[in-house]
Amino acid sequence: MADAPVIADERTVTFGHRWWHRWFRTPGELHELGVVGINMRNARFLLPNNPRRLYELVDNKLRTKALAEEHGMNVAETYGVVRNPHDANRVEKFLGGNDAFVIKPTRGSGGKGVLVIDGKNGENFVKPSGAEVTPGDLRNHVTNILAGLFSLGGKRDYALIEYRVRPAALLTALSFQGAPDIRVVTLHGYPVMAMLRASTKESDGRSNLHQGALGIGIDIATGITVRAIHHGKPVTTHPDLGIELVGVQIPEWDTILHMAVTCQEMTGLGYLGVDIMIDETKGPLMIEVNARPGLAIQMANGIGLLKRLEPVVAEHRRHPIADLHSKITFSRNHFRAKLPPARM
Amino acid sequence: MKAQAKLLLAVGLLVALGGGMAAYKSMKLGVPFWQGDGVDEWLIEARVSFLATGRDVKARLALPAIAMERGGGQESGSLDYSFSVEDNKGEYTAFWSSGPREEGQALYYRVRFKEGLDSGGEPKPAFEKPNPPDVPRLPGSLGAAANSIVTKAKNVSADPDSLFVTLFKQIHSAEASQEYLIVKRHYEKEDSANPGIAMGIDLLGLAGVTARPAYGVRLSDQNSGQAPVPLIEYYDGAFWKVRDPAEPTKIPDGRELFVWHRGGGALLDDVTGGENSRVTFTVAKDRIPLATLTDLRDSPLLVSTILALPVSERAVFRYIVLIPLGAFVVVLLRNIVGISTLGTFMPVLLALALLEIKPLTGIIMFSILVGAGLWFRFLLSRMNLLVVPRVAACVVIVTLLMMLMSVVSYQLGIDAGIKITLFPMIIIAWTLERMSLIWEEEGKRNAITQVAGSVFVAVCAYHFMKVSQIQYWAFYFPEMLLILLAGILLIGRYTGYRLSELIRFKSFSNG
Repeated sequence: MADAPVIADERTVTFGHRWWHRWFRTPGELHELGVVGINMRNARFLLPNNPRRLYELVDNKLRTKALAEEHGMNVAETYGVVRNPHDANRVEKFLGGNDAFVIKPTRGSGGKGVLVIDGKNGENFVKPSGAEVTPGDLRNHVTNILAGLFSLGGKRDYALIEYRVRPAALLTALSFQGAPDIRVVTLHGYPVMAMLRASTKESDGRSNLHQGALGIGIDIATGITVRAIHHGKPVTTHPDLGIELVGVQIPEWDTILHMAVTCQEMTGLGYLGVDIMIDETKGPLMIEVNARPGLAIQMANGIGLLKRLEPVVAEHRRHPIADLHSKITFSRNHFRAKLPPARM
Repeated sequence: MKAQAKLLLAVGLLVALGGGMAAYKSMKLGVPFWQGDGVDEWLIEARVSFLATGRDVKARLALPAIAMERGGGQESGSLDYSFSVEDNKGEYTAFWSSGPREEGQALYYRVRFKEGLDSGGEPKPAFEKPNPPDVPRLPGSLGAAANSIVTKAKNVSADPDSLFVTLFKQIHSAEASQEYLIVKRHYEKEDSANPGIAMGIDLLGLAGVTARPAYGVRLSDQNSGQAPVPLIEYYDGAFWKVRDPAEPTKIPDGRELFVWHRGGGALLDDVTGGENSRVTFTVAKDRIPLATLTDLRDSPLLVSTILALPVSERAVFRYIVLIPLGAFVVVLLRNIVGISTLGTFMPVLLALALLEIKPLTGIIMFSILVGAGLWFRFLLSRMNLLVVPRVAACVVIVTLLMMLMSVVSYQLGIDAGIKITLFPMIIIAWTLERMSLIWEEEGKRNAITQVAGSVFVAVCAYHFMKVSQIQYWAFYFPEMLLILLAGILLIGRYTGYRLSELIRFKSFSNG
């Protein structure tokens, strides 16, 4: 039993079970729990803190990666960028001689248009599922990316070819195919909440929660998973793999927090979500920054975001210029979860 | 907090401005605030349009005697034309003249009168017995057919009234006898515009009943720019009577039809110095008495000038002022209730279409259109087309589907099918595009939920825009839209939960 101290402002609010809880919660109850709704997220946190002109930095993955490298952050190595239809026809030249790689649109979102290749079988490329992709299919995919099939508003786009992340074994164990990623939400550079997203058979390799992926809440202080949800309901084991989801220590947690705070410093966005994957050899890699992070993270952690955002707003007002370490220390001290029994 | 104060200040100002202007208009100028309080007056605007050829222009338009005499009020509007009304023994004519003119010209004449049972087509005693009708000369077999028709009709009718009914019932009947068809074909060649009228007048003449054309206006503010309705005036031995040949048994009802011109003669005398002249009518129900209206136009309130526009231009605003109302409903349902829709304002356009088509048929047609379009869209998606050509291809398919659906529904005898063109085509093409992308990326459940959400929002917006009191306010008190704007601004800063989130977070617990 880890007897972690419980922070006063996050004390569990318990309501007796009421008949309506089967269908809904009253606004008063949600407010008591500190749940943030979309209107509140937009009006109180997104609009005032994320100026429109900064969105370009995170909506274009090439720029995000360049910025991250400037700030000494680990990102997936870029093999090549296909910028025009002529190059799309000789896409093999951009693979840098690698058999395993990922092709993604530079302006895509939500995993749209991402093609993962694990290796080669003769002429053909092999996807993680074992399905084969002919060189013609590959060129077609790149052409579609260039045409803007996957980018917001159908804008013309570039195809980014980069290192295929091999997630650490500890994390692949939690996921049915697909690569689990870690989302950390920060406000003014203070990490406020984190979760691990793992795919299920139902979500088909994707990590979108509304498509049936698992959301696993992570304690900011320790990097140990505290709670898991599937379709909004708490679960303790993986629905397909049966493996225990709570009490897992995420490796290199310090680096991950460090990365999340650096992302805020390099983009200037006040409220953002950082997506990170942990490679088995290269460690944590920054994948992308999201300027409009969703609200499911509070369900995964079982804590309303407001309970974490309000202390940060107050702290930020007291110390407008705080350095990275003091921000991490503040978050670790204040956002310590009540830990479940540690898993041996 | 500063932003909060600014917002509240703006909201306060908007409400004060909008409310103040509305109150001023209502209390000082006497525009009735509630729809029922107003006087129900019809306002008919005749619009004479022609292409001036560069010579002196003269135009004459016959005017309705009943409106002139009853004095509901009338006025003409035309820039730099000299205008007068000629009174010839109770027959009134508007006369416009001007120096040389070029290009398209429009002359307006407006008549207002209280809504009532009189149509202006009441039987009118003849001052003198009219000359016996000119018997038309119809050659050979045609003449024989016409005579036979008249003889048969005379045998079954007792007086000119029943003769009129018998003849026109046959003329408009789908299974007319062979003789009618022969005569009808002849008149269709002679006068393609109104063959039935010319034929009826000639047949009545053969039977010894004097008849002449008259013109009316349908009292409905739905269609602006309607053509004059051709009517027939006949002499029954003591009175001149006006009837609508399309409904021969019906005495003209003053609530539906207004007889603009009777007593023979042309409605619009050939315009000298102009080509392609024609008359169209726009009808509007006006709830502001004329006296007030004149005050309004002189008042300094800028927004009131909408009432100074010609009626045909004003009619456009009837729909335009409804769009903000629809937008408000969308804001309400998206940000407070939390219904997700396809495209932000697609539901408003859908709701506008539903105002024209009945909602049930509208939704059925929309579903068929979207369903069939989606199927084609999936065929297209296999071809890996680029985005813009793909949407353009969708537009082509939607166009063809619309044509097909209106033809099929017409064949089946469903009138509403014709109205399918009221659906904004580009919007439907985009709906298909967005829907199929969502279908592929997020699954069909999401796609269908969003479309259903859009239709639901559209129906809500429709019901809101349909309320006649709300339409009345939007049209007569457009400054009240400022109050709506204030409401929208307030919702724009609403940070509370959406209703849908109360359900989304129902299993939220710290357990």
